[in-house]
Amino acid sequence: MNLSITDILFRPDAFFGTMMNEKESLKIPALIVLAGSIVAAAYGYLIGGLTAKMMASTVPGIETIITISTIGGALAGTFIFWILWAGIIYALSFAFKGLGSFSRMLQVVGYGYLPQILGSVITLIAATQYIPKITVPTLSSAAMQDPAMIEQTMKAFMHDPAMLELTQITSLITIVFLLWSANIWIFGAKHARQLSPRDSALCVGIPVVLYVLYLIYNIGVM
Amino acid sequence: MKIDQPFAIICLLLLISIVPGIACGYATPESIVAAGKVYISGIDYDPGSFFTGDTGTVTVYVTNGNSNQSVVVNHATIGDTYIRLKSNPYDSSANIGPLQTRTFVFSVAADALEGTYYPTFSLSFRDADSLYYRLVTKVDNTPLELTVVDKPDAYTQDKKKTVYMQVANPRNNMVKNVILDLSGDGADFSPSRVFVGNLGPGEKIPVNFSVTPNKVTPLKLTLNYDNGDNPHRVSMELPVIFGTDKKAANPVISNVQVKNEAGIWHVTGDVNNAGLETANTVMVTSLPPAIPQDPYKVYVVGALKTDDFGSFEVTLTAENTDTIPIKLSYKDADGNVYDSIQDVKISPAAITARNSTSGLPVIPITIGIALLVLFVGGWILYLKRNKK
Repeated sequence: MNLSITDILFRPDAFFGTMMNEKESLKIPALIVLAGSIVAAAYGYLIGGLTAKMMASTVPGIETIITISTIGGALAGTFIFWILWAGIIYALSFAFKGLGSFSRMLQVVGYGYLPQILGSVITLIAATQYIPKITVPTLSSAAMQDPAMIEQTMKAFMHDPAMLELTQITSLITIVFLLWSANIWIFGAKHARQLSPRDSALCVGIPVVLYVLYLIYNIGVM
Repeated sequence: MKIDQPFAIICLLLLISIVPGIACGYATPESIVAAGKVYISGIDYDPGSFFTGDTGTVTVYVTNGNSNQSVVVNHATIGDTYIRLKSNPYDSSANIGPLQTRTFVFSVAADALEGTYYPTFSLSFRDADSLYYRLVTKVDNTPLELTVVDKPDAYTQDKKKTVYMQVANPRNNMVKNVILDLSGDGADFSPSRVFVGNLGPGEKIPVNFSVTPNKVTPLKLTLNYDNGDNPHRVSMELPVIFGTDKKAANPVISNVQVKNEAGIWHVTGDVNNAGLETANTVMVTSLPPAIPQDPYKVYVVGALKTDDFGSFEVTLTAENTDTIPIKLSYKDADGNVYDSIQDVKISPAAITARNSTSGLPVIPITIGIALLVLFVGGWILYLKRNKK
């Protein structure tokens, strides 16, 4: 297969057109998703550190638990989202009488994750700049007994000016690179499920637009 | 043996004439001149001036001004109707050598009313006439002055207050052993007895004491002193009335703001001293059901002068309550601690996020929507072109 990363990013139609002649393989897509998950885990480590700091005085050793669970969540979460996105697009494509296997769908969605690695790296760089500026509130043991108090504390944490700015920047970066991924997925789904460009755009566009609207809503309600 | 009678008579007459000569001497022109040079060189009174009824001493200094001749005195006394001599007069002969001074001390009693009196000192010479001298003795019934310089407007039960007094001596002589005795039913004094010591004429000295009354009672102040060896006293009563001290410090909490960060309530505000005295060691803390937490379990504002103010911040946790009592305490100049408690309302609404609710983040949302529109629009355009 004579394909390059540049083709995935800038000529996805041609890339997937060629790829369809190849045997299905999830190795490279899985590596792309893994790379994305590692960067996400690094970001999760930084943010998890803040959460751990917030709860440090409540239970001894909770920092380690929080840090590990944040890293683990980021690693696993990326793979779960990979399957989720593939599943949603695959399911929607049935409405347009799509043909093709789910693994092929997984493959194209995995390739489509490539821009998001770039996005995650930029997010990570932004995080290293903003995290030192974030003032982390500390939860007391007494406050841990009160769910409302925990919620309010988290809210206070999320509304820290630096945190707020970081979240907004992260969200915008996510939107940009998710739309880029969606662009790739549309061409991917077109070939993987043998759909027309319009049908493929609808299959990918509907969930992506909804998710982007959700992200924008989150920015608004923060 | 037979004695010749005329010879015996002559001898007897001679003997009789010799005896007075030994006892009284003879007033000669020289002895009269010598007596004329004897003078009163000084007079001391103790006390310097008498109260009516006082006893004391008068010391008269008699100096022989002759440089080479002694004089013999055989009687000295003092007194008149008002300044009565209590001791015996000097009745024995005494020699005063050339340029020597002899003292004559008399105990006297002042039976007179207030005024100036002139008792006479008389001194008899063996070989001349007597010397008379008018003394000036004052009887002054002016007592020491015990005055209140400053005292609390009102007292508080079991709170120590300081009373500032002054003892002054308007007399023209020094008084000794001045002692202020303090007493009162249900009141503790510190000190209960103040020793002032000697107080010269026209002098004044401040005397302070602290009183802690536990009931309404008059304070009895007795100033004891000695005029010479005669004890005297001046008494005074100070009423103790419980009430509000109009000049007392009055720290007031204002500008109270409550917020919750990470489960810790932060109560901030200002303390203003609306009183007329300085509030010392002003401290702010929270009371149960609140539990003070670090970093500001107790906030020490410090001393606040009149119209001065200081900010405070206390941190605490509180559960199952919507009000928390904030205690403000301060000390007055005597170290008495005064407390005041103010309830501060807390509610979930007070749980604030810093710099939150600053409005909708228009720019990020606009960018997000623009990106979405660009994406959707781009694809619509692409699909239309592709269709053609």
